[in-house]
Amino acid sequence: MNALPLQTGNGLALHAVTPQPATSVAVRGLTLSYAGKPVLDQLDWQLLPGQVVGLLGRNGVGKTTLLESLLGLRDVDGGEVQLFGQQLSALDDATRARVGFVPQQSQLFDWLTPRQLLSYFKSFYPKWNETKAEGLMSRWEIPQDQLISRLSGGQQQRLSIVRALAPEPDLLVLDEPVSSLDPVGRRDFLRELVEQVLDRGTTVVFSTHILSDLERVAFNVGFMARGKITLQAPLSDLMDGCRRIVGSTSRIDAYVRAHGLKVLSRRALDGGQIAVLATGEHGVLPEGLTGDRLGLEDLFAELTQ
Amino acid sequence: MAEPPAFVINPGSPEPIYRQLMEQLRRRVASGALAAGDEIPSVRELALSLAVNPMTVSKAFSLLEAEGLLERRRGLAMVVAAKHRRARSQAERTALLRPALTQAAEAARQLEVDADEAVDLFKTILQEVSR
Repeated sequence: MNALPLQTGNGLALHAVTPQPATSVAVRGLTLSYAGKPVLDQLDWQLLPGQVVGLLGRNGVGKTTLLESLLGLRDVDGGEVQLFGQQLSALDDATRARVGFVPQQSQLFDWLTPRQLLSYFKSFYPKWNETKAEGLMSRWEIPQDQLISRLSGGQQQRLSIVRALAPEPDLLVLDEPVSSLDPVGRRDFLRELVEQVLDRGTTVVFSTHILSDLERVAFNVGFMARGKITLQAPLSDLMDGCRRIVGSTSRIDAYVRAHGLKVLSRRALDGGQIAVLATGEHGVLPEGLTGDRLGLEDLFAELTQ
Repeated sequence: MAEPPAFVINPGSPEPIYRQLMEQLRRRVASGALAAGDEIPSVRELALSLAVNPMTVSKAFSLLEAEGLLERRRGLAMVVAAKHRRARSQAERTALLRPALTQAAEAARQLEVDADEAVDLFKTILQEVSR
């Protein structure tokens, strides 16, 4: 039997079941400016236990800033972050140990060997799955006794993943975790992630520009733009409900009104027409309008403008 | 026992992964490759082998259960429902092909590919996938 957290992961559609499920991550009004430019702007966000959320946004939109802020690695100008119901500023060691992080650039100790590094980190955690760590190290062919500075980028990234998984975290924050891995390495990592979710109901949030990976593993997707999470929903709901409608403004508006659709994005095209991303119960398109169902890549383009 | 063909998913398509899985299971039952009482892989097996979120697999299975294609047995693997005793007739199976072909025909029309060329391409692809 598997222990699937079927009650969670509904994202948008979650109607309060009593008692309200505790959040793994709760962010309220998070604000941060960088060189006078707002990066996070009153950002609100929630991750529920067992959710696997893919964080999507254009380059430079602040995904890394947001993920690092969840871990207290950035000084924010305002707002608050709670992990497992505790204020980030007052996190106790036990709660801190429940969080695993794989940064975009691995920040490992270059002068140690992988064996030394792992035994060093092991001492900080109440739980440390030695079998898992050893298994991954040998399966991923990471030389145990070579200086980390001598490892390839891919090996360093895999080591960073082992380090994050070994303490059996309840929350995994992954910032471009597979950028240096080849397709086989990526697939193997995704399986490892799926196993974590199956066995432990781990909450996972990760950013990646490899959308095919994200589509496989993320049940929910969150879109980041203009300093906010502009939309978060189960990806399958978005793909089922969204159509991109192209035509004249007046015709599209009439169609959207007639079917009570929700407009998620709207942009002008050449020749006076517009393209609208609308979600809901679509009907037969009237004369003069064309409509397409979109894959993740097109949804990304429409929703991260 | 011969290994059944693996499930294949195509990320990047406008078809969500759970629908791709549903469609593949429906086709297997329609062709008789899976018949009443046959066990299907567990959520765990399929999620791990495809590297797909377990909730996605579970969503596909639940919808197929609601559709009457699969049956859940307490503590055991799901099975193909009892009413699917025999493969469906050739005509019924061909009818199931219609939506996919309609979509392809629509694309051919938009790309202004002429009918003979489109049919030739379809024949080539048929040969490629049966290899």
